[in-house]
Amino acid sequence: MSAAVKYVKNVVDTLVTTLVGMKITGKYLLQKPITVQYPDERLPIPNRYRGIHYLEQEKCIECLACARACPIDCIEMDAVRHGKELEWISFTLDYQKCMFCELCVYPCPKDCIHMGTEFAFVSYDRSEFVHDLLSYRGMSRDAKQRMVEAEEKKKAKEAAKAAKEAAKVAAQAAKEGKEAAGGGGEAKA
Amino acid sequence: MFTEVLSAAPQSGTNAINDFLAGVKPEFVPAWAVPLTAVGIAVGITIALVSVIAMFSTWLERKVSGHIQCRYGPMRAGWHGWLQPLADGVKLLLKEDLVPVGADRVMYVVAPAIVLASVLAALAAYPLAPGFFFADLDLGIFFILAMTSTTTIGVVMAGWSSNSKWSLYGAMREAAQVVAYEIPLGISLLVPIMVAGSFNLLEVSRGQAGMFGMDWYIWPWVNPFMLPCFVLFFIAILAETKRAPFDLPEAESELVAGFMTEYSGIRWSFFFMEEYAAMYLYSVVGAFFFFGGFESPLTWGAAKVFGDGHVLYHCAAGLTLILKGFAGVFLMMWLRWTLPRVRIDQVMTLGYKYLTPLALACVLGGSLWEVFVAPILPWRNG
Repeated sequence: MSAAVKYVKNVVDTLVTTLVGMKITGKYLLQKPITVQYPDERLPIPNRYRGIHYLEQEKCIECLACARACPIDCIEMDAVRHGKELEWISFTLDYQKCMFCELCVYPCPKDCIHMGTEFAFVSYDRSEFVHDLLSYRGMSRDAKQRMVEAEEKKKAKEAAKAAKEAAKVAAQAAKEGKEAAGGGGEAKA
Repeated sequence: MFTEVLSAAPQSGTNAINDFLAGVKPEFVPAWAVPLTAVGIAVGITIALVSVIAMFSTWLERKVSGHIQCRYGPMRAGWHGWLQPLADGVKLLLKEDLVPVGADRVMYVVAPAIVLASVLAALAAYPLAPGFFFADLDLGIFFILAMTSTTTIGVVMAGWSSNSKWSLYGAMREAAQVVAYEIPLGISLLVPIMVAGSFNLLEVSRGQAGMFGMDWYIWPWVNPFMLPCFVLFFIAILAETKRAPFDLPEAESELVAGFMTEYSGIRWSFFFMEEYAAMYLYSVVGAFFFFGGFESPLTWGAAKVFGDGHVLYHCAAGLTLILKGFAGVFLMMWLRWTLPRVRIDQVMTLGYKYLTPLALACVLGGSLWEVFVAPILPWRNG
């Protein structure tokens, strides 16, 4: 190839390849962007994603099965029992330790602890990574209701029992009185 | 003596503003205060112009680069991030102004000012509208080219005084590049200058005032050598404004921003303002010499409906020029995000072995066309 032909070829190649490149970038320029505006919109997350836990507190019976299953002991819980009802104090998960192994989920007899789809957890202080999963502290309204009902039932039962006892006592007394009267009669007789 | 110097200076320099001020001047104000105030106002307008152009261009650049890469670019500050440049500006103003220990302090501090001042001076010759300009220079394009190449002095000063090897490499590359590309830039503009017969931007624009942009110099029926000239001109202005694929002076991946490595805060932003203002200015020059300047169907219609002197005609003409300027800026951005950076020896090869001879060939062909063919073309003699 002579130098002159090569020179012309270089010029033509430069212009043509630049135009080809501009056509490609122009196509992308007009296309809809594939990124999403993250905090406002999010890409779908698979259901089996292992993110921040969530707890169905109503179902939990504080059996500590999850805490025992945890290989790094990052689950701690505390509650006071009032008969069958639970007054919750805390249910914390230390996300500085948690390795999202999902081993806490399987042993739960009530199926109440799950891995969520939330993956971002930001905080200004390390202590905030000890995350409380409770949605409420103390007793739930239903539990309080149930406790009040149980108390009333118990009272009613006791009252009925007391009344029965009283009736029994009264009957006894009457019987005894009758007997006494009879005795008197006999004595009279 | 001071008064004499000022009155000897060309009074037409700040035409419209000067005339307006002279009209409303109270008795007790001395005569020499009028041109001084007019110059002050003109400088203020020019600085505001540079800032607004730079702000809009940075936003446009980020949006164009984002969308080419299938991203959105800035979206948070205002509608589609249009307030982003304002936020960036505040950030840059608040940043610490660092001067390296080994730097040549005076030169280091002065360099960004020289860079910005050169483009401000060049913008003085940029007419905003047919009836609104700061300086109606007969050597307008000559003045613009001279002033914009002064930027190189500032860049070399910045690179040298930073006392950093990256900066010095960047400055040397800038100097080599500008020397190589100033030649084809000037030569490629000769063909439209020959056709127009003037260096004056306003006259060049007036020469293309045909119906529906049919008399724009870019069209092959005016002069077939105009299109290759425009391509050469466009490549040369890419190199002059240090834009990719010729962004070797700032090559962020190899030279860590080159001559700007050591700069921070507002001084650093001066370099960027210069770059974007120069991009816009060169695009406007391209619009004047190839794409009709103020002339477009819009301007033509405004002239027909409102008449030549009407304020709306001037608005239409100014808007036409702004749209053409930003179309050029957009094209430069599109190219930047398309092409990879070329090597320094390739830059030199392109400049000396391709652009310069081709520009000379175009000038030769163009002038032969002007002498032998143009006189017999009926539409060139109407």
